Amino acid sequence: MSGTVRFDFMHFMPYVHLPENHKDFHSTWVDFPNKFYDPKKGHALYQRYLAELVLAETVGFDAIVVNEHHNTAYSMMAAPNLIAAAIIPQTKTAKICVWGTPPNLEYPNRLAEEYAMLDVLSQGRLEVAFPLGTGMEYWANPINPSTARQRYRESIDIILQAWTQDGPTTYYGDFYTYRYLNPWPRPYQKPHPPCYIVGTGSPETVELAAKLGFGYSAVFVSKTRALELNQQLRKSSAEHGHHIRPEQLPLQVITYVAETKEKAEAEAVEHIRYFFEDALRTTPTFLAPPGYLSVAELKKRAALADKLHGGFSFENVNESFFLAIGTADQVVAQLEEWGAKMDTNHFNILGAIGNMPHWKVVKNLTLIGQDVIPRMRANAAVERRVAAE
Amino acid sequence: MTAHPFPPQFKRETHTINGVKTVLLTAGSGEPLVFLHGAGIWHGVNFALPWTEKFRVIIPFHPGFAESGDDPAMTDMHDYVMHYLDLFDALGLDKVHLVGFSLGGLLAANFAVQAGHRVKRLVLVGPAGLRGKERPTGDVLSLPPEQIPSMLVSNFDLIKPYLPENPKDLDFMGDRYREGGTLARLLWERPYDTKLPRYLHRLTMPTLLVWGEDDRLLPVQQAELWRQHIPKADFQVFKGAGHLVLDEKREAVDAVQRFLS
Repeated sequence: MSGTVRFDFMHFMPYVHLPENHKDFHSTWVDFPNKFYDPKKGHALYQRYLAELVLAETVGFDAIVVNEHHNTAYSMMAAPNLIAAAIIPQTKTAKICVWGTPPNLEYPNRLAEEYAMLDVLSQGRLEVAFPLGTGMEYWANPINPSTARQRYRESIDIILQAWTQDGPTTYYGDFYTYRYLNPWPRPYQKPHPPCYIVGTGSPETVELAAKLGFGYSAVFVSKTRALELNQQLRKSSAEHGHHIRPEQLPLQVITYVAETKEKAEAEAVEHIRYFFEDALRTTPTFLAPPGYLSVAELKKRAALADKLHGGFSFENVNESFFLAIGTADQVVAQLEEWGAKMDTNHFNILGAIGNMPHWKVVKNLTLIGQDVIPRMRANAAVERRVAAE
Repeated sequence: MTAHPFPPQFKRETHTINGVKTVLLTAGSGEPLVFLHGAGIWHGVNFALPWTEKFRVIIPFHPGFAESGDDPAMTDMHDYVMHYLDLFDALGLDKVHLVGFSLGGLLAANFAVQAGHRVKRLVLVGPAGLRGKERPTGDVLSLPPEQIPSMLVSNFDLIKPYLPENPKDLDFMGDRYREGGTLARLLWERPYDTKLPRYLHRLTMPTLLVWGEDDRLLPVQQAELWRQHIPKADFQVFKGAGHLVLDEKREAVDAVQRFLS
């Protein structure tokens, strides 16, 4: 691991008060009846989750990460920019990462404006990611999944043009026509906030990140796959003349720290189970609306089906995905090992997983802030000095 | 899968139409009868064999379906109408009997609206495409794929031989997913054509509407919408048949033949 170490705290802000019979429903996404959403409980959860996000900065995290999903108990962030706007005045130094709104689900000029607003509001603390959006989002929004990728590409193109060229400019695309692309305000950071692509590893999006010189974060892919993707991104980026820096490859890790390994597992596993079994429960049709995936990708995913969405075993999940559950020493060792292997120094910590109660989130963040982050920074500094000598 | 969807009597031809590989099945001789299939043709064309005794039957696979190639740039019905104008020109077909089923019915109606002089007689079998406000069309785009086959027929045994024995057969899933993507390009935003009723008055050629009484995808009541807009259309309903009325009822196949003869 080279250079500094960066720690992000990512929250999904789930709605956790599911009805007792929720397992009778085939999905907690798309068609899960919204009569089960109680706004009073929702308000309390927002209060709590905002406090947890802000706490992350206090205990030493470098960044706060929010993202977008629709029609689901998995997340209460249908509009993550609103959450970002609520956090900005409560924080001073933390990067605000909106990772992010699928740019094809929003008018691109509007997204360029909103992100610029957040960047100006936060004095240049914004980072954005451009996800294509899960298949589920296309059942909730009026955007054609069969042209989603083309629209996505065009939207990113428009946003970058809006940010990097003095307006007014024009844009005549397949999906959008702008006679006066001239958004006010403009981003605080020049040329624009740091950008990432977030994806589940389809070759098209990795190639896009490489072409644009963006970072890439693979989410919900196996450890082996994540390594392949990082290597592929480095290779493709180099071919496009971009050098990928370690901090551009955030590694998403479900992390929980406690006094002993046994205690950490005892405290965390039930919430990890909830996350995979209940919060991520969906159907193959919702995951893959028509035309959203290539046929080859659909077949590949169908062959792997049920591994991620529903059907939980901690051993399997622990084996397949990045989970660091244990004492601070163990978590440091684990993260350093993965960081070295993946050639990244950027950890995106899922530290409030599933239906984890407030006290555990506070405990977890505090222990990470107290015992994991400083130690990893110190180790990285030693390594840096050694490398310099 | 135990049945052959495409019987050996049909010969295959491959054409390249505006860059798109276009495969068609053809059998018989006589006046040309072009059949435009629905949003899937895995249930085969055995139903069409009787027509080959009197007609030169031509069954092209639409771009994005079955053995024809893909063209993601084809995103609306107009693209498919143009494709068939090109194909008819390539085949030297001046005037045809046009039979369209389901999605192919919507396509046939659009073709006949725009190029009526190329259509001698028109048959629409359970056509998709009108907005049935009271009896809406079943949404095949959102139905889980495994639920679709049983929605198509009143007698499931009839199509069972065309389905893979393993319901999770990856190749079959992949093929249906590809066709779903093609359909999404055409109909995701609106699973109906809001402009078509405005132009159906142009269907002045002899026209027959055929429907299965138990159609669960396109309720038979939608026939009324078509009849309101088409100046003069014969209408025949077949009892004990679902959406795949031609596969289920030989009488329906014969009725089409009589109408075209």
